[in-house]
Amino acid sequence: MEAILNSLAQVEATHCHVFTEMLRWLMPILAGILVLRCAAPLLTFRREPEIWAWLCLSDGKRLAVTHWESVIGRSKRSDIVIQFPTVSRSHAVLTRYDDGSWTIFDADSKGGIQVNGRKVSIHALQPEDIITIGGIDMMLQPISHKQEQRLAQNRTQAASTAGMVANVLLLTVIQCLFCISYLLGSIQRSGMEIMIGFGGLILCQWLLLTFYLCIRRRSFEAESIAFFLCTLGMVAIAAVKPGEAVKQLIAMVIGIAAYLLIGWSMRDLQRAKKVRYLAAVAGVGFLVITLLFGKEYYGAKNWLIIGSLSLQPSELSKVCFVFAGASTMDRLLKKRNIILFIAYSVLICGCLALMNDFGTALIFFCAFLIIAFLRSGSIGTIGLACTALGFAGVIALKIAPHAMRRFSAWRHVWEYPLSTGYQQTKSMMCIAAGGMLGLGAGNGWMKNMFAADSDVVFATVCEEWGMIVALLPVVCIVALAVFAVRSAAVARSSFYTIGSCTAASILVVQVILNMLGTVDVVPLTGVTFPFLSNGGTSMIGAWGLLAFVKAADTRQNASFAVRLAKQGRDEDE
Amino acid sequence: MNRIAGRTFIAMLLVFALLGGTVFFLSEYFAKGEEWVLFSGSPHVYGGTKLSTGMILDRDGALLLDLSGDKTYAPDASLRKAMLHWTGDRQGNVYTPILSEYTPDMVGYDAFNGVYSYANEPGRMTLTLSSKAQKAALEAMGERVGTVAVYNYRTGELLCAVTTPNFDPDNVPDIAGDTSGSYEGVYLNRFTQSVYIPGSIFKIATLAAALETRRDMEDMRFTCDGVYEIGSGDVTCEKIHGKQDLKSAFSNSCNCAFAQIVELVGRDKLQQYVEQFAVTESVSFDGITTAQGNFDVSNAYGESLAWAGIGQYTDQINPCSFMGFMGAIANGGKGVSPYVVSTVQVGSHRTYRAKAADNRRVMSGATAQILTEYLRNNVEVKYGAENFPGLTVCAKTGTGEVGGGRKPNAMFAGFVEDEAYPYAFIVAVEDGGYGSSVCIPIISKVLKVLCQ
Repeated sequence: MEAILNSLAQVEATHCHVFTEMLRWLMPILAGILVLRCAAPLLTFRREPEIWAWLCLSDGKRLAVTHWESVIGRSKRSDIVIQFPTVSRSHAVLTRYDDGSWTIFDADSKGGIQVNGRKVSIHALQPEDIITIGGIDMMLQPISHKQEQRLAQNRTQAASTAGMVANVLLLTVIQCLFCISYLLGSIQRSGMEIMIGFGGLILCQWLLLTFYLCIRRRSFEAESIAFFLCTLGMVAIAAVKPGEAVKQLIAMVIGIAAYLLIGWSMRDLQRAKKVRYLAAVAGVGFLVITLLFGKEYYGAKNWLIIGSLSLQPSELSKVCFVFAGASTMDRLLKKRNIILFIAYSVLICGCLALMNDFGTALIFFCAFLIIAFLRSGSIGTIGLACTALGFAGVIALKIAPHAMRRFSAWRHVWEYPLSTGYQQTKSMMCIAAGGMLGLGAGNGWMKNMFAADSDVVFATVCEEWGMIVALLPVVCIVALAVFAVRSAAVARSSFYTIGSCTAASILVVQVILNMLGTVDVVPLTGVTFPFLSNGGTSMIGAWGLLAFVKAADTRQNASFAVRLAKQGRDEDE
Repeated sequence: MNRIAGRTFIAMLLVFALLGGTVFFLSEYFAKGEEWVLFSGSPHVYGGTKLSTGMILDRDGALLLDLSGDKTYAPDASLRKAMLHWTGDRQGNVYTPILSEYTPDMVGYDAFNGVYSYANEPGRMTLTLSSKAQKAALEAMGERVGTVAVYNYRTGELLCAVTTPNFDPDNVPDIAGDTSGSYEGVYLNRFTQSVYIPGSIFKIATLAAALETRRDMEDMRFTCDGVYEIGSGDVTCEKIHGKQDLKSAFSNSCNCAFAQIVELVGRDKLQQYVEQFAVTESVSFDGITTAQGNFDVSNAYGESLAWAGIGQYTDQINPCSFMGFMGAIANGGKGVSPYVVSTVQVGSHRTYRAKAADNRRVMSGATAQILTEYLRNNVEVKYGAENFPGLTVCAKTGTGEVGGGRKPNAMFAGFVEDEAYPYAFIVAVEDGGYGSSVCIPIISKVLKVLCQ
């Protein structure tokens, strides 16, 4: 390593200029290709219609069961529609488990359900069981083992091994180029830290890829995207605070561990449901600990200082909140369940109000809205919640003057370039100075700015690498969100759909608040850019959220968080 | 599951909000990016990296000003003085609009490249001014106060424009403590920002108006008795010119004859043509807007109107505008605006190049031809062609009476007819006395340098 640094120190200035000039053009092209290669499969995968079983009615009619969780009812929007007056609008839920077994749940229906003539609320179905719903007899006929295999083969293949490796190779090239360009600019300063930072990043992605190959998974798009965003984060750190590269690298390793752990816990729905309670408690726990032992910075009490580490536990709380908000279909239709969730949200809301952190509160609120809507489907509920937030917001602004100041400058930052609009105006000056291709590594001014590697990290990347590279993270996050929405149609459980859509929504909201806050399209709230912003807890939280998106990926052999479907569970790793 | 899947569109609303916000930001970026970069306090422009390393060069590439650090001016003291009113001083007392006008080009900003330039090369602004001519003009002006300027009437390039008094920015005198009055108005670029009572050089405009108004003008004869009574007063000449044709009335600069010419033209026509010739109109170029001249005869009758046509009354001209009028005559009746910044270059990328000057017809070609002939006649019979060896100079002197016991302003305006040297010029010397004796040696020296 010393040798590399020494040889780089010998490079003449003219060669540096040529290298910078070359990279300005090369980097948007390479990064653009990488992001396109990763985003395209997420945006375009085919959602094959699947039939998992047939519901045979006594009159000989056969109804297709197309999901693992299906609502049986009179309502047109049920998955299995039985137009009969004695059937409730949402009567029962039919659920398939990983092992191929089926269970029927009563969804608080008026008439109830009977299996083999006996009234039940939950029943694990055996072959030949006769189900009676609203006086109609029917029998469930699951598809055969062979048919299941054919279904699995028809499902979209995630990617080829070669494609995965190619993406990671391309990413490695990008990382090496970034690393060299920063080393050329700051050998005396912190060359070693920069090398360890980028080197560690490269090592982590290859290790994770090798692990995936070992467990026969062939989708690395979401991970490649996350590693690409981490790379840009490392770029911002190299430009602003190279000394913190190693710290951020460690946070990323912890984040990946959390990602694997959360993914693993969601692999088995029964296990996930248990972990959910733990997560719910942890979510509130993190906030309470912050409130008790936290420190107040810039008017918000959301920092926990342990030794030399400063943590923001609310970032982790977000992940727990998503976990707590997700639910399987059979529970979703019961009133008790939604009341519990509302009570839980009120508790979280109380903690946030005491913490006085506007940005975090907004993220939680958006997450709450998404979960509430996915669960209830009621626009009215959402409207009421928004109105309530509006009132609360007005009152909060009256009470908290520093929040008010922030809003008074919004869309007027150029009138206060030296006070409340300082961060935004300087950011915009530097963004424009960077143009589409940037000024090159180390040539930016943003490093002199407070929070240049977190709150206004978008401007830092824009200035040194240009608008094209800086907007790629937006493409990445949009791709993840669209993927979460598209995969809902073939999701195995509403648990995964709610989890992935909420997690993706949180990522999108964070990008909106961070990036658009930097350029004064929305008020600047100090929310982090997922994966990009320097900050350990934020990094761990972002990987945690990614696990939910990954768990909803039902493409063939795609996700480690989904069991292999090919030969049954025995041959699984 | 169908229900849940259907409800996921709510996440798409957020995605649309993000995309919409991004598009909105990009539209702002493309509309206002330049404004952002150039906003006061912008680190890349004013923070020591970009603009502060720009350079200003003369037409031959000689360094006039290096903006880096504490600014470095030309090595030659007389050149520093001659260029003062274009390149300014360190204190910012001398207003230098060309610097602020071309800041975006010096920075090299464009929406695609931002302010990037290979190896951070500084912006280089090349002026049309010639260092040699500037120095010659400064020397010729000596201690006199005023301005001398020459421009190419075909292209609009300003070759020389020196204002006196001036000072050396590397050796600033005690201007505030000066009691002699020799630094009065020293910060002012007299060429662009002053107005002078034109005196007889204004007769060129009156003559042009007469030629445009009446076809038989050249056949007219005018009698001068030394005094011409008109209205309630009279117009006087310094001597009796007797009977003259139009050409000799012009070369004699006969006030009595011109009083008669003004009568022939009439008040409204005179006003109309002076406006059409753009003699008093202010000119804008390179961020500079010249001072507005004055010709208003709406309330002038009799003797006042006659004096207005002779370049007294309330007449005022700006040297730059009047030089442009000379250029229009030389150019066959089409005016060409002057400019001083020829190119701005950042690295190998040219960010600004002066556009071909506009050609606005202000008078007929026939009139311009007659005026050229008459102006040439002035030099041949009155000022002496030997003052301009090898050059076909056409010109007119003027003596602007300022009153108040002060000596009159000496003026001299004209042009070189030779195709190789298409130069129009003006000299204005405050308190100079008679135009011919003061101004001719000055412009003669400058033209000699320019036409070598």
